[in-house]
Amino acid sequence: MRALILVLVSSLVALLPANAAAQATTADDAAALRKEIEQLQKQLESVTDRLKRLEAQPPAPSPGTAPPPAAGAPPPTAQQPAQQPGISALDIARPREPFGLYQQRGAGQLLFDIGIAGDFVGELTQRNVEKAGGGSFPGLENRFFPREIELSFFGQIDPYASAVVRIEAGEETRGGDITVNLAEAYLTLLTLPFGTQLRMGQVRNRFGWSNEIHEHDLPWVDRPNVMRNFLGEEGLVEQGFEATFVPDLPFYVQALGGIFNGDNETAFGRGSLENPLFTGRLRTFLEFGTDHALQLGMSVASGQTSEDRPSTILGWEGRYKYRPDGWLHPLVTVTGEALLSIRQFNVEADTNGDGVADSVERRNKNRWGWYLSGEVQPWRRVAGGVRYDWSQFPQNPGMEWAIEPYISFWPSEFLRFRLAYKHTERTTQTRDAFNLNGGSARNVDELLFQASFILGAHPAHPF
Amino acid sequence: MRQIALVVLATLSMLSLYQPSAHAAQKLRVVTTIPDLKSLAEAVGGDLVEVDSLTRGTQNFHEAEVRPSMMLKLRRADALIENGAELDAWADVAVTGANNGNIVRGAPGRIDVSRGIPLLEVPSTRVDRSMGDVHPLGNPHFSLDPGLAPAITQNIVDGLSRLAPDNRVAFEKNRATFLQKLDREMGRWIKLLEPVRGAKVVVYHPDFIYFLTRFGLVQVGTLEDRPGIPPSPQHLVQIIRLMKAEQVKVILVEPWNDLKLAERVAAEAGGARALVMATSVGAVKGADNYIAAIEYNITTIAQALK
Repeated sequence: MRALILVLVSSLVALLPANAAAQATTADDAAALRKEIEQLQKQLESVTDRLKRLEAQPPAPSPGTAPPPAAGAPPPTAQQPAQQPGISALDIARPREPFGLYQQRGAGQLLFDIGIAGDFVGELTQRNVEKAGGGSFPGLENRFFPREIELSFFGQIDPYASAVVRIEAGEETRGGDITVNLAEAYLTLLTLPFGTQLRMGQVRNRFGWSNEIHEHDLPWVDRPNVMRNFLGEEGLVEQGFEATFVPDLPFYVQALGGIFNGDNETAFGRGSLENPLFTGRLRTFLEFGTDHALQLGMSVASGQTSEDRPSTILGWEGRYKYRPDGWLHPLVTVTGEALLSIRQFNVEADTNGDGVADSVERRNKNRWGWYLSGEVQPWRRVAGGVRYDWSQFPQNPGMEWAIEPYISFWPSEFLRFRLAYKHTERTTQTRDAFNLNGGSARNVDELLFQASFILGAHPAHPF
Repeated sequence: MRQIALVVLATLSMLSLYQPSAHAAQKLRVVTTIPDLKSLAEAVGGDLVEVDSLTRGTQNFHEAEVRPSMMLKLRRADALIENGAELDAWADVAVTGANNGNIVRGAPGRIDVSRGIPLLEVPSTRVDRSMGDVHPLGNPHFSLDPGLAPAITQNIVDGLSRLAPDNRVAFEKNRATFLQKLDREMGRWIKLLEPVRGAKVVVYHPDFIYFLTRFGLVQVGTLEDRPGIPPSPQHLVQIIRLMKAEQVKVILVEPWNDLKLAERVAAEAGGARALVMATSVGAVKGADNYIAAIEYNITTIAQALK
């Protein structure tokens, strides 16, 4: 632009004297022309100065201001003003369609997210524990194994619903083949009226705090004893419907109700919608200033066992976090859950005393268990904690307690190593459990190692 | 069991009848993911909106913890204004827990202010996590550039007008008033930083590229080894060498990052200074609104580089 002006004005300056010389015949005419040329030169200098000033000035923030240069471009200098790639002031100002989806991200992108989570566990324990299958990962004692390799797909189906599909693979038996399971697959209707939401499919039930947490996301290497004893190794994973309701209140309350098949063999096992498993949960949340937060909840799951006997599990949960303002992680986290199993069993009885069972009696058994865990994370990449377990067994007599200190280390947000020691003691009344192959696992010491990673997308975790 | 269920149902029914009282007549209830957007939404919405933010300025927005208190704010929201470009992807989890169809992705009440923003540092090659916590869509910290406020506020005007079309004129008027004020400040800010134009700076985390580019400052390195990856000793040695060679005088630090480490590096680099920056409204004392936050950053840098 400046060059163009200079060429034009130079040409003008060059031509004008020639014309003047050709036409002027008197000294007065020549003087007038000279004056005119001087004025033009001054104008040229003024325009050139103004142009320089304008080029040196960064864009001002008025509507349609030029945004910064695109990626990779060097920062603007006095000679190189900010560029505005692909968008004009009119583009910015123009009202847009509310559902326009085709900006920023171009062709070739997926319409949902994919993530992979890998979780490997190593366990070292006594030989008698291995023989009895009495470790935290029964049948996999003294092994390093892939506990859960999870492939997740999640995203919006349309403006009204989202979906999640998780497929997991892992070693479930010693040296056996890797088994592949459908861990979860559900859709959620997001836009129902009156603060409701409906989830349907196969879900990790929102029963208590830890049940819905996936293996690799747990704050410990293993699930708490009470959860495994009452709900099985996998926890409560069911197929059916789950509705939530969040009333419009000054404090947070979430109410949940669900109807499921009742396939969980440890606690229920009826597996039919004719006699379904009903679940419910009430959850609330309290904040004390910006640093302290407490979540409290109550859960219930009520169904029938495979023997057509009623089984109900009640749960209570609490989770507290102290996160000083500005910290990237909580300094203190305390988590606890308690479960009460109210269950009826068929028990064979010898009514005539001949030593042969001749009738079936119904017997009620109320069993309970709990755990309490505390974790301190003084640094972003390191946390240490301890969990105490106390649990009865839903069917067998006796109880067990365990203590598990652990330390976690995150080299980055997507990679974590954990080392734990777990000591478990079981009472002598414990029958028909932890005694496979003539072994015994009343006192168990385990050294546990865990390595977990995340590839790709991973949704944020709830509180 | 049935009695318990009945009691719970009755209680919930009664709770659902409760309607929070005295909500200002017809005000739009707006929630933003970050405080910068709260300030801009207040400027655009004026007294026609009631705005709250899910996070505080002192937080790292990449790693915000999704709390039920967020869900409570979102439960009653007419609109959710999000930064987008994956800075606040955690908002989806909070929205899902809020049971509010007004603000789910794709609903008219979901306002993404990154629309139309030409993002910087968009990867031009294949990216993976070996590069750290990279953003495949580009650097999402554009709200720190006051020169992009027109585009951001236009997105807010468009979004709020979808919900309250009758108020579009008022929103536009508020926006124009705000931008006029920002325009005046911008002239002064440019003048303040003009003497140090071209100065080289090191940042802790790449939050400032839009701001630096706008005002002609040059980012020559980051304290983080790679985005989101804590610095290794070798990397810090390299950065100290770089700062000495390039005569870098300041390290810009987020309030949530390790200021002591930055100060040690700055001292090792020969008298440089570590400056805590207003990475958002409310990040530092005095940065109570958008213009005050930018003002804080401009004056802090101008004084340090003087």
